[in-house]
Amino acid sequence: MTHQDQNKTTPQTIRVWDMFVRLFHWGLVATITVALTTGFLMGSMWINSHVLVGSIAAALIIARIIWGFTGTQFARFSDFIKTPPHVWAYFREVKNQTAARHIGHNPLGGMMVVALVLVILGLAATGLVVFGGVLKSGPFAGLSYATGDLVKELHELGAIALILLIIAHVGGVVFESMRENENLTRSMINGHKDRRKGDAPLHYTGQTRSKPFLALAVFGMIAALIGGFVSQDTSTRIQNPPVLVDSYFQAYATECSDCHKAYHPSLLPAQSWTLLMSGLADHFGEDASLDAATVASINAWLQTVSADQTDTKPANVFRQVATDNPVSISKTPFWRKTHYEIAETTFENPPIYNQSNCFACHSDAETGWLYPANIKIPTAPQKESLN
Amino acid sequence: MKLLYISLTIAAIASSTLTSAYAGPRNSIIAGFASEAGKPLSAKRGKDFFMGKHSGGKPGINSCTSCHTTNLRGMGKTRVGKPIDPMAVSANSARFTDPAKVAKWFRRNCKTVLGRECTALEKGDILTYLATQ
Repeated sequence: MTHQDQNKTTPQTIRVWDMFVRLFHWGLVATITVALTTGFLMGSMWINSHVLVGSIAAALIIARIIWGFTGTQFARFSDFIKTPPHVWAYFREVKNQTAARHIGHNPLGGMMVVALVLVILGLAATGLVVFGGVLKSGPFAGLSYATGDLVKELHELGAIALILLIIAHVGGVVFESMRENENLTRSMINGHKDRRKGDAPLHYTGQTRSKPFLALAVFGMIAALIGGFVSQDTSTRIQNPPVLVDSYFQAYATECSDCHKAYHPSLLPAQSWTLLMSGLADHFGEDASLDAATVASINAWLQTVSADQTDTKPANVFRQVATDNPVSISKTPFWRKTHYEIAETTFENPPIYNQSNCFACHSDAETGWLYPANIKIPTAPQKESLN
Repeated sequence: MKLLYISLTIAAIASSTLTSAYAGPRNSIIAGFASEAGKPLSAKRGKDFFMGKHSGGKPGINSCTSCHTTNLRGMGKTRVGKPIDPMAVSANSARFTDPAKVAKWFRRNCKTVLGRECTALEKGDILTYLATQ
């Protein structure tokens, strides 16, 4: 390895990672950490945070792609994307312990950048499809639940792939730092790397400072993207909306809210409603009988607005009723799967009283949406403390 | 000052009209039960029935007061926590003025508490009692 192509103006210390690249990198670390934590560990009530950080990560990635064509020397894809034979050759050199040190990304590191960019882009795209199809929110709110649910599998596979890539990336950084006895993480913080003898050839262009106007334009685009995705109203732009509470059949609205709030008709399939309406004399342990004509008129309406006619997530999951109790939402497999962590006593005590009281924790239960971010489990009323 | 007197007078007339407007239908509902029972009604019997414990109904509910509570001027609560308006007529002048509602709730709640429908005498006694509360 010769040094003939390092001309005299090449400084000893190189600003290898410009401000934009560093902000991008650590911004991505932060947003992906929150996205993985909320997605895998914290449950669906964190959906708004998950979508927010996911949108920011996607905007960062798009900005990084623009930077890859227009940015500083070591940020450009042309600087670090090598042909497969080159990457393979470098891999063999690493194995044989003859690989030269690179100032920018080495060929394997360059592959990692491409892989991370592609996987995160894929996660953003599949995430938006899930957000649309399953939760009827965001730009793809018109997609079907079935589509959203299917793509959710891809979204989860992508997230697992991302975790594996992150482990490989951190492993690569640690390996290279030890191999060359330098702190690569610090370089990603202060942006600098020192040239050494034996480095891979460097065609230094001197173009290593962020371009402020371009950076401003790119950041403006990030802000617009985030604003666009996040400001999507979660209750609009939907296909097949559940019937509005205000347009309930009159007898349903009055009779069914005598003892409890009226349940949204999309929360049970038509067959379950028929069964429930025919058994009002013993309605969950209470006589709620009505005259036959009222029962018939209410049930006729329910047949047209039940879970069978609705494509929301609650309608899709509660269509699957318990075979031994097809009229209880709280006996459905999905209900049990999602509520088992909540203690019996929490349900029995005020202000919830009963597992049937969806409205106590789901502030939008009456509308039939049950958006996960609208869940708040109330605390039992405290006795007044002495001051 | 004059304005205050005028508005007070209007309010007094309005409220007495309203009360008497409710009193008519309620009295005829009670009179209907009395004639069906063929016996004079008793507020005392009504109180004992309303406040007392019964059996034969749905598990966990053995008295009218299970939901309506013993404080008749206050709010009651259904088993899922929904508030029930006061039963005492003095606290809720619209009580027992709609024959269909009276029939519906006696049918349902007697079956829930006693496992059977109430007799005309029992219904008449209860309304006689609650009308004076």
